[in-house]
Amino acid sequence: MQATMEPVLQLRNVTKKIGRRTIVDNLSFDVPAGEVFGFLGPNGAGKTTTIRMIVGLISMTKGEVIVKGVSVRKQFAQAMTHIGAIVENPEMYKFLSGYQNLVHFARRHSGVTKQRIDEVVKLMGLQNRIHEKVKRYSLGMRQRLGVAQAILHRPSVLILDEPTNGLDPAGIRELRDYLRKLTQEEGIAVIVSSHLLSEMELMCDRVAIIQGGKLIVVRSLQETTDSVQTRIIIDVSSPPLAYQLLTESFKDMSISIVGKQLELETDKARIPEIARLLVKAELDIYGIYSSQKSLEDQFLEMTGGEMVV
Amino acid sequence: MSNFNDLLRNENMKIYRRPRTWLMIGFLVLSLLLMSGLMKWDEVRNESPDWKQQVTQQNLVLQKEIQENNKIGPDHIESMKKEIKLNEYYLEHNINPNEQSMWDYVNNSAMLIILVTILTVIVAADMIAAEFTWGTIKLLLVGPASRSKVMLSKYVATMGFALLLLIISFAVAFAAGAALQGFGGLNLPHLTIGADGIVHEGSMVVDSLQRYGYAIVSLLMYVTFAFMISAAFRSSSMAIAFSLLFMLVGNTLTAVFSSYEWVKYLLFANVDLTQYLAGSNPVRPEMTLSFSIMILIAYYVLFQFVSWLLFTKRDVAA
Repeated sequence: MQATMEPVLQLRNVTKKIGRRTIVDNLSFDVPAGEVFGFLGPNGAGKTTTIRMIVGLISMTKGEVIVKGVSVRKQFAQAMTHIGAIVENPEMYKFLSGYQNLVHFARRHSGVTKQRIDEVVKLMGLQNRIHEKVKRYSLGMRQRLGVAQAILHRPSVLILDEPTNGLDPAGIRELRDYLRKLTQEEGIAVIVSSHLLSEMELMCDRVAIIQGGKLIVVRSLQETTDSVQTRIIIDVSSPPLAYQLLTESFKDMSISIVGKQLELETDKARIPEIARLLVKAELDIYGIYSSQKSLEDQFLEMTGGEMVV
Repeated sequence: MSNFNDLLRNENMKIYRRPRTWLMIGFLVLSLLLMSGLMKWDEVRNESPDWKQQVTQQNLVLQKEIQENNKIGPDHIESMKKEIKLNEYYLEHNINPNEQSMWDYVNNSAMLIILVTILTVIVAADMIAAEFTWGTIKLLLVGPASRSKVMLSKYVATMGFALLLLIISFAVAFAAGAALQGFGGLNLPHLTIGADGIVHEGSMVVDSLQRYGYAIVSLLMYVTFAFMISAAFRSSSMAIAFSLLFMLVGNTLTAVFSSYEWVKYLLFANVDLTQYLAGSNPVRPEMTLSFSIMILIAYYVLFQFVSWLLFTKRDVAA
């Protein structure tokens, strides 16, 4: 992670109100160069609205989006030279060939050469069918063409709204590897929103979780995976007895009985100590498992268990 | 940042790469050829060997009518007198008025500009709305160009298409006329009777271009209107339907309400500027050419402003 770098994208108190309803409420966060930033939230949380405000499709009621020091609101055209985006499904002109579509989007930017188009086509693995009409493309190919279109002009920020929609597992993996490459080699910041939490875990360096238009937390996934706090499940002969024993000895630990097992949250270093205690009390231990909290659990916990789509 | 020419090239690419556009152009060419063929057929059918006798005969009938029939109004008498004068001029200079020249084909093609208008309205209606239907608007607007610039490129491309259709009309009619009548009539004068009552020889090209010019006024208005509806409702079918409805119903509407003074402020009442030519009456007696031009400019500015406002200020949410 390169969090120390100058942020390429900054959101400052971004707010969207429609009538009296606040859809996005005072959102502020920074995304540094080279980071894959995930955007997570239940349906209607304001994810898409936020993304559309970043790219200027929806106007802001208040606040500022700054891309490489350029305000999207005040200098839209200039800010857009730094942004590449696919908003929702990558809709292309179906009556044009893939190549013509790329030419169409390339023309809007100064300095996208024919070589660059060919390079991107190869990068996305489209070279065999690039001259076919887009209407004959599969969804996965359209997705790749969409990404190709978004990176033609070497943007500093790449915004992908639900990029894994309609991709097969191999396609998702390809996209993930490709995003990694982009961030590491070209220092592009990537903002991804996705409903596939497990995907986000694999893809992102950090995730922002929003709910009801409010930013709930921005958290680093590296932190959570290396987290000292782990969830331990102990399969023990008498859970109530063990529960009593452990609550007496470790006052700060959160312990609960789940079914016939004991669940507790602690750091790894204390596991031997706990085991010794239980053995001394002549309790039989059938197993001790450590399970790391997945992003999904965290997410559900933070958003109050609402369904995520 | 985007260069306007590149945006225009993009819009043109999206118009001319669609098979539909070429179907429309083919349809226009076919209609022009059909019209030319019918004109030739009609001419051959009505051919008479001695046109001089026919014209003399016609003049006699007209003169008799003027002298004997007291019921006809002064306007009618005036026009009949003009016809007699023209006929005398034909006889004097040995010009056969029944013989069609290539210019008649071009002049008649001006009547088909209504078709050009309809075809351009269809393209204009799709210009903005189709991007919404396709979902491509999201990619189109997330680019280094202001929305105003994108919109202008779309408008200019639409007008370019209209111009192309007009040139095709003129060229096809000219070519068909030349093929069916030969280039003999190329330098034929256009005869008119001025206010002074004398026969004038004018240029046929100028006359044809004038006919085109009057037709282009309504083309410009209806296409701009369709463009506005396209931006407002983001629906092509609605833009096409409204524009065509107004084109078809407009004249009837003005005719029905022509006794009311407010009719003169309607677009339809002003769109046809030929009403100010000698020999025709405007919708309302108090209307003048400059009045109509002012009204047309006002409507044009209004349409453009509303399109711009709706295209640049609204959120793209769906």
